Amino acid sequence: MSLVKVQKPDFIQKLKRFFLFDLLKGLGLTLKYNIGAATDKDSVAGKGIYTEQYPKVRPDVAPRFHGAPRLNMDPETHDTLCIACNLCALACPEDCIDVLAMDVEVVVAGKPRRKKVLDEFIFDTSRCMFCALCQEACPTSCLELTQDFELATYSRAGFVWNREMLEQGRETVKYTS
Amino acid sequence: MLPQLESHMHQLEIATTQEALLDNPEMVLNMGPQHPSTHGVLRVILKLDGETVMDLDCDIGFLHRGMEKIAENRQYPMIAPYWDRLDYIAAVSNGLVWVETVEQVMGLDVPARAHYLRTILTELNRIASHLLWLATHALDIGAVTVLLWALREREEILKIFERQFGARLTCHAWRIGGLPNDAYEGFDSDVRRFVNNFPKRLDEYETVLSENRIWLSRTVGIGIISADEAVAIGLSGPSLRGSGVAWDIRKSRPYAAYADMVFDIPLGENGDTFDRYLVRLEEMRQSRRIIQQAIDKLPDGPVSAKLPKVIKPPAGDYYHSIEGPKGEIGCYLVSDGSAQPYRVRVRPPSLINLQALRQMCIGHLVADVVAIIGTLDIVLGEIDR
Amino acid sequence: MIMLALFAPVNFINDLLSRFFAPETINNVVWPVIQIGVVVTVVATWVAYGTYLERKISAFMQARLGPMRVGPWGLLQPIADGLKLLTKEDFIPEKADRWIFFFAPYIAVVAAFVVFSVIPFGPDWAVITDVNIGLLFVIAVSSVGVLALILAGWASNSKYSLLGGLRSSAQMVSYEVGMGLALIGGIMFARTLSLSGIVAAQAFDSIWFIVYQPAGFLIFLVSGIAENNRAPFDLPEAESELVAGFHTEYSGFRWSLFFMAEYAAMVVVSAVATTVYLGGWYFPFVYKLEVSGWHNAYVIVSFLVFIIKLSLILYLYFWLRWTLPRFRYDQLMDIGWKWLIPSALINIVFTAFSVFLVQALDGWHGLRTIESMTQGLNLTATGKVIMIGLGLVGLLLTGGLLSLINWRSRDFHLKSQRRNIRLVSVPSGTSAVASTRPAAAATES
Repeated sequence: MSLVKVQKPDFIQKLKRFFLFDLLKGLGLTLKYNIGAATDKDSVAGKGIYTEQYPKVRPDVAPRFHGAPRLNMDPETHDTLCIACNLCALACPEDCIDVLAMDVEVVVAGKPRRKKVLDEFIFDTSRCMFCALCQEACPTSCLELTQDFELATYSRAGFVWNREMLEQGRETVKYTS
Repeated sequence: MLPQLESHMHQLEIATTQEALLDNPEMVLNMGPQHPSTHGVLRVILKLDGETVMDLDCDIGFLHRGMEKIAENRQYPMIAPYWDRLDYIAAVSNGLVWVETVEQVMGLDVPARAHYLRTILTELNRIASHLLWLATHALDIGAVTVLLWALREREEILKIFERQFGARLTCHAWRIGGLPNDAYEGFDSDVRRFVNNFPKRLDEYETVLSENRIWLSRTVGIGIISADEAVAIGLSGPSLRGSGVAWDIRKSRPYAAYADMVFDIPLGENGDTFDRYLVRLEEMRQSRRIIQQAIDKLPDGPVSAKLPKVIKPPAGDYYHSIEGPKGEIGCYLVSDGSAQPYRVRVRPPSLINLQALRQMCIGHLVADVVAIIGTLDIVLGEIDR
Repeated sequence: MIMLALFAPVNFINDLLSRFFAPETINNVVWPVIQIGVVVTVVATWVAYGTYLERKISAFMQARLGPMRVGPWGLLQPIADGLKLLTKEDFIPEKADRWIFFFAPYIAVVAAFVVFSVIPFGPDWAVITDVNIGLLFVIAVSSVGVLALILAGWASNSKYSLLGGLRSSAQMVSYEVGMGLALIGGIMFARTLSLSGIVAAQAFDSIWFIVYQPAGFLIFLVSGIAENNRAPFDLPEAESELVAGFHTEYSGFRWSLFFMAEYAAMVVVSAVATTVYLGGWYFPFVYKLEVSGWHNAYVIVSFLVFIIKLSLILYLYFWLRWTLPRFRYDQLMDIGWKWLIPSALINIVFTAFSVFLVQALDGWHGLRTIESMTQGLNLTATGKVIMIGLGLVGLLLTGGLLSLINWRSRDFHLKSQRRNIRLVSVPSGTSAVASTRPAAAATES
């Protein structure tokens, strides 16, 4: 083991070392923190305790957060905004979206037309990596990743969300104590 | 060396009685993959005499996900989120390599505002990565309190990331051509507040560690690697600069907006653990300096270039690298002109830095192995890919 | 009423007991059993709440809150932890040495708890037994604890455990020497090994031995922390190197026994440090309660004084643990053998010399007051001042002498190795040449 270069300490340094200044400085800082946390005061940021009491206090999730997926509906007619264009499924790197469309007969301007509408929408959240590429691909702002982040379920099957779950949201227990 | 050690271990497993240990002066200690301080799933096979390390070998690959193969079957925009999962501590920097490679291949004209935002956010990510390194390094050496203090500052950065990108760790920060969104409202004040508070926090870490005689005795002279050896192995990043080699891609091949920034490269002298510790701390200060300049000079304008519908780089092979927090992270891209890459190869800094482990550890004690693994700042997601 | 309830009980219980037992049985069997029960209960509870306190204090130092979920402010957390540990599987590795594996935790706990029998928690009835070789007993019994660690490390048949056991045997054996030697300085003033006698000597001199013996106190404290395997000397269980050291393979209740033993041993060392150096239960002016006839109040207040002093030392334990990094194994041995033991020896010589000096200066009698009151030195005020001065000189002398001796050793100069790293500014856009001599290629800023 080769040794590294050593500078000679000056007298003040020697004195400080002799009286354990280096250790005492660190101890002083932790003591300051201890008192600061007990009074919830911090010299720099003002608030001593920085942890969040998660289930008691709901975290402040950013508006852009990529969380649980949701299929938005028209606020007035409550029809789905999805036009079954399949762009989200194509954009998904993990291939976790399945858009199942069906053709319906509609009368547009007096003429019967075949229109592709959404039948079922499968979103596998267990494979999703929340990259939000699907959200960006959606031309009608229908598919959106919301701020809901509590996605745990009791079974693997529970990770696969169908259209109803995506539109209505999943029922979860919000623990507050 | 590995097969011999493996067979040796096998014999020991057969005769795993205490008598066998008594007869054999050498002990093979299997450190990891389940071990608190191998920073993930690294397995280090140590050959010990007492507690002195006689020889060691690394067994990697426990976190292999075949990312390079996956990339061959994805279209160009889809590959970016996978890059976040290489070095998940520095997802923003990693993502930048990929999008910059594709942009340079395509010859896209990325707007200046995007470049500046990229500079700010990757530097924030560098600070976050170094903070996590400091936290775990201090934890390995036993200073537990620094862990929580460093994570607190990292939390501030992660909050900025969450507000900007929508995710905290694997952000999927960039899109080819720029950013998905402009900076959120309050980005400027958030970054400035962090930049203003941060130096005092760094001083606090230094109060506890830099002059502490226990910390010094644990780090000074441990894991020395000379400049020549470091270059020969191919170390990069702070591990290389700790040995005194002025090599920083931000300077030598500036990307994003680094050409406009004024900053210095910190260099160590002895190439020991303490030097690398100081270099990383100073790098955090320099990063802060860059962020300050960039946020002052942040231009207005669009944040994304005009993109073709389908991204099809011209056929050929390309290499681009940036200075990640761990070292030079590079992307070697072979394109056949289709919408999917023919081959993507990652130059992972952690893997190459890990090669120095054996050289650094031999002759030291078990406790030093932990300190040296900490000082190399490895992330197993990147090593195993 | 409350006051009555506080001060009545002892006589009341005595009366009650004397109806059933002979007076000798009461004194020799019944009271000790009651005292032992109380002490074991109190210490076991303290161990449980010691973990709570440690978690809270460490949390505050780290700017977080610690346990908050079980009960108000997490006060029931120790109970939840205990229940969890009791119901966990008691796992024994296949190739382990079963019987030794079984018994090692018990040795640890017994060794830690037996010591409490001689600790004077207060005057009069707050002492279980006053052995005239109390201090020797404490040192002897607490060193049995190392056996538990070695056996546990050996019996687990795991390499991490084995390394932990080896480390603990070397560490505890070498630090016991320093600990024992450090106490001798204090004994020279008390002139007795009985712990009650040591407290009495300090009480009658109205002084704590820490002011006579600052060097001894420091040495004892450092050795004690190392003896307890607490950070920064927690090498036998260094979690970042040896996973959990000697108790890697233990789980459930056996593991919690080790945990209890560790905390109980901390209390033991703090109690001995309090007794020998901080005056035990003695505090100025508390004796006035005794003078005015409030005997039981006097005992209880003295007990509280003892607990407060103990808690201060325990806080120091937590404080050090959550501030300092961990030593390396060889450095630990260095500190033990190159610093603590020699300084303890120097301290003994210097203390003996200063005791001799103070007595010789005054013709062997002038500085002493009431010769027969205790076995202690019983110095007058002048004698005390001289002795305090000599104590400080001894501290500096010990440190200085050892600094001289260890001048050449490597880690002594580490402080000076706080170096500044160079900051070079390379002009942006220069070709990527990795130069091993950057000073030539780049300008230093």
